[in-house]
Amino acid sequence: MSVLPVASGRQTWRGLCRSALSHPGDLAAAVVWTLTASIGVVVVPVLLGRCVDAVRVGSSSDLPLLLPALVITALLGAVLTALAQRSTARLGAQIAADIREQALTAALDLDPGLLEPAGSGDVTSRVTEDVETFVAAIPLVAAVSTAGSTLLVAVTAVAGLDWRLALAFVVVLPFYAFGLSRYLPRSGPLYAQERRASAERGRVLLESLHGRPTVAAYGMADLQTRRVEEASGHSLELRVRTIGLSLWLTKSMNAAEAAGLSTILLTGYWLVHDDVVSVGAVTAAALLFHRLFDPLGTLLNSFDQVQRAGAALARIIGVALVPARQYVDAPPPQGAVALHVSQVRHSYDGVHDVVADIDLEVPAGSSLALVGTSGAGKSTLAGILTGMFPPTGGTAVLTDGRTRLTVAEVAPAQLRDWIALVSQETHVFSGTLRDDVAFAAPGRTDNEIRESLNRVGALGWVTALPAGLDTRVGPGGQHLSPVQDQQLALARIVLRDPPVVVMDEATAEAGSAGARDLEHAATALLSGRTAIVVAHRLSQARVCDRIAVMDHGRVVEIGSHEELLTMGGRYARLWTAWSRTSKPPARQ
Amino acid sequence: MSPERALLREVVRRRARPLVVGCSASMVHQTCEALVPLAIGLSIDHAVSGGAPSTILVAVAGILVLFTLLATCGGLAYWMLSVSVQREAHALRVQAAGRVLADPSAGQHRTAGELMAILTSDTTALAGILPALSLIVSGIAGLGVTVFVLVRVDLALGLGLVVMVPLLMIGVERIGPWLERKVAAQQQTGGLAAALAAELVSALRTIHGFGGTREATRRYRAASRVSLRAAGEAATASSVVAGVGLLATATVVVVTAAVAAGMALSGRISIGEFVTVVAMASFVAEPVQRIATGVQQTAVCRASAARLIPLTSGGVTESTSLDNLVPIARLPGLDVDLRPGEMLGVVTADQATAQDLSEALRTAARPGLLVEPPHAYLLGGTIQEALNTGRDVPQEWTQLSLTAAEAHTIQSESLLDGGINLSGGQRQRLALARALAADPPVLVLTDPLSAVDAVTEDAVAQKLRELRSHHTTVVVTTSPPLLMSCDRVVFLNGYPAPAIASHDRLMQRPDYRKVVLR
Repeated sequence: MSVLPVASGRQTWRGLCRSALSHPGDLAAAVVWTLTASIGVVVVPVLLGRCVDAVRVGSSSDLPLLLPALVITALLGAVLTALAQRSTARLGAQIAADIREQALTAALDLDPGLLEPAGSGDVTSRVTEDVETFVAAIPLVAAVSTAGSTLLVAVTAVAGLDWRLALAFVVVLPFYAFGLSRYLPRSGPLYAQERRASAERGRVLLESLHGRPTVAAYGMADLQTRRVEEASGHSLELRVRTIGLSLWLTKSMNAAEAAGLSTILLTGYWLVHDDVVSVGAVTAAALLFHRLFDPLGTLLNSFDQVQRAGAALARIIGVALVPARQYVDAPPPQGAVALHVSQVRHSYDGVHDVVADIDLEVPAGSSLALVGTSGAGKSTLAGILTGMFPPTGGTAVLTDGRTRLTVAEVAPAQLRDWIALVSQETHVFSGTLRDDVAFAAPGRTDNEIRESLNRVGALGWVTALPAGLDTRVGPGGQHLSPVQDQQLALARIVLRDPPVVVMDEATAEAGSAGARDLEHAATALLSGRTAIVVAHRLSQARVCDRIAVMDHGRVVEIGSHEELLTMGGRYARLWTAWSRTSKPPARQ
Repeated sequence: MSPERALLREVVRRRARPLVVGCSASMVHQTCEALVPLAIGLSIDHAVSGGAPSTILVAVAGILVLFTLLATCGGLAYWMLSVSVQREAHALRVQAAGRVLADPSAGQHRTAGELMAILTSDTTALAGILPALSLIVSGIAGLGVTVFVLVRVDLALGLGLVVMVPLLMIGVERIGPWLERKVAAQQQTGGLAAALAAELVSALRTIHGFGGTREATRRYRAASRVSLRAAGEAATASSVVAGVGLLATATVVVVTAAVAAGMALSGRISIGEFVTVVAMASFVAEPVQRIATGVQQTAVCRASAARLIPLTSGGVTESTSLDNLVPIARLPGLDVDLRPGEMLGVVTADQATAQDLSEALRTAARPGLLVEPPHAYLLGGTIQEALNTGRDVPQEWTQLSLTAAEAHTIQSESLLDGGINLSGGQRQRLALARALAADPPVLVLTDPLSAVDAVTEDAVAQKLRELRSHHTTVVVTTSPPLLMSCDRVVFLNGYPAPAIASHDRLMQRPDYRKVVLR
């Protein structure tokens, strides 16, 4: 089972930097405000220390200068800190938007063949939950950058008072180093494990939500809730372990604070005793160090959340790391298009061929039906012909007489001007009916949309809807029947108007009552186009110019309906089973 | 009381014990934090400022003791609250998921993606009420200690702070709702973007089929940009609230320092007391900040509660247990008496009738009745799990059901996203096997074999009849092999009274032939 890649630390960092640098204005604002805010934070205790000295000496002459300076710095510091927070948060939101858009673009460009083994749950959790984890960490990242810069400015300020007082900052280092050296090696794997459990929880939740009709029909809400509970419980268990781990880190932080403060007081006592520094300088150093508890705590605690955000970011960026296939440019087709398939074979696991030795010629404007039992490889072949995934071997070539295109080599966006696929699964997109149809060809007029609906026999019921094309469809909107769903899917293709269409049992899920309506719609869509129809309703196969019978991934018979019946092979048997009841009943 | 408040209160009640322990520990922790400035002041006054060498050792020892207590209580509070948040989020998630699954009306206007966002993110955000409360409580404790120490130093100074700080808190509280609106807008637009992302990814195959990836990217980008704008506004709102809090604290520090400096000059307080007062005044920032953050987080919790409530409220439907074997004479939308043990075919002449019938059947819920949904959707990660519908079914019966549905040959190590990695026909056959394994007294199937090839369809139709011989089965279909297996066929041709006869008999009617023949 292939799973989507996760970005390495370096790749994640590079992605982050690239995005940040693409917003130079926001980046500069964030850096400048953060730095000036830190200076504001640090200057206040220094001024307070000067006040102590002024009061101690008993000279009130400095105070009229010191106090207004204190007022201005303190108030300005508050404003600057708010500005720093705002600019950093905005920069973070920009980056988050960039990265989630890149990830979704990459996800949409993935081969569906690659995505399906991984399960859409994995990608979904990356572009939803992981994005959210990252967005939630943005205020924290803002706080971390402020804390970091405050720390730098403060160390400089204390060293400016007396270098020996700055020793306190050296004393705390071993404590932090020890704490982190215990924490970091464990936290990485644990967080990765926790993310996986969370992704599994997402899978079970999403499956339950999509499967609500089934759950209701079987009255199995209790069982399904238990499954949710189990997945959520497993993720909870791991989350609790991460909490225990980060607790350890907090402890080492308190130890460092106690050691640092004691060092400043001891050094201060000795320096004052030797008359090297004033009591005010020691006071300023102690106050400053005390004020740094918070930023230091923020920094260290953030390892936890920053790691979570980093893990999430690595998963988001990882989506874009699936090696992109190299595509060639394709001009739009001129007129009718023929399809040649030679020696195509495909294997999902590298061992068993799902299809093999496929050679097919579909002349321009003709139609070919693919029939066979379930699992004969029809859908796989349909996927290969439409470039949903490249075949393991062989080629499918489209030609309009001037241009020859190898399907697997053309970018999907251009390939769809040549060949489109109507698959078994239908999806009605949330939004208006107009948006749903125009999804395939944006920017078309309402008249063109109506015309395409008319071709597939859907204009009647669409016009009958109270809001017409403005009717909201999809989950939570107007309920549509499976036939109507599929009609919309067909209308999209009519609007897109490619010369070749592959239909993968596109009428299968409609139910028998609607199948006939859909067959009419499908016939309307296919007329004038080169068509490959994966059919299990033999009435659909019969109207095609030729029929290919597939078995165990190979084409075992090919010819027109009459030719195949005359041959008396597999197709003839299928047809007998199918049409038995149209003659007087054979039983009883 | 608003429903959001009621839900938050319920959460608090449920986690009362860890919350009380966490809050108490957090209060001690904050008290210790508040005493650190006092310790600094005392150390400077009695030791640094010309004390004997023993005094500095005492001072350092005192600081170490203080920090030990601080670390212990801080750790305890962190553990208690963080774990409670996760447990509560889990409990809320399971409870809401249970409700959504049991009650079809709960959250029916939301997409699966939106529901997913509520069940994962909002539950955690809502449980965040616990640390938010602890922040407020411990902030108040820290503030109390500060005020107490200051009053001991000088009554006027202490009282001044007591008056100033609540005023500031009220000011911060006043801009809370504004922030709440901005945060709600950010969460909502973010949720919509996430829902769209989830939808687009789940429809990837369809989108690829018609070449809509560029348009999909464009649509997502538009949603993402709307969310970005809301995030920008929320950032501004948050920083304004934070800025107001910081300005307030800065004012406290500055005013206190000025007044205390005057007092120290006139000899009313000592240098050490001046240091304590100044350090305390700077420290006031922290408890006030804690309170402000707590208030902010409460706003986020309330916004999440508002999103979760529609899922948890609403009538509970009675669970439809199949244990009750009361025979069901009639089905909604079908005016025919069901006979025990029969297999009844239903043929609809036109789409409108078919849709009415499927709508009526979709909402039918009665003991002993199982209406298999028309679209085969498999739950669970393996075939074994997919067949398990919470009924006590012997292994042999499951095997028989699989064989009857010709699903015993399907090999797949794992199922993904409702069985998307299987073909349509395989999914249908497994769904049929699941329905047969559940063995309900009355089973309604709608086009159970429409994606299955003709040979297999014929085989399954006959085995289905045998396996269900002791129970009633209703098949809505136009498939001749299935209809041939039926005892009676109801032909709903739009007239008030449906035609009921065997398939062979009905085949003599031209209108029936037109519908079932292909």
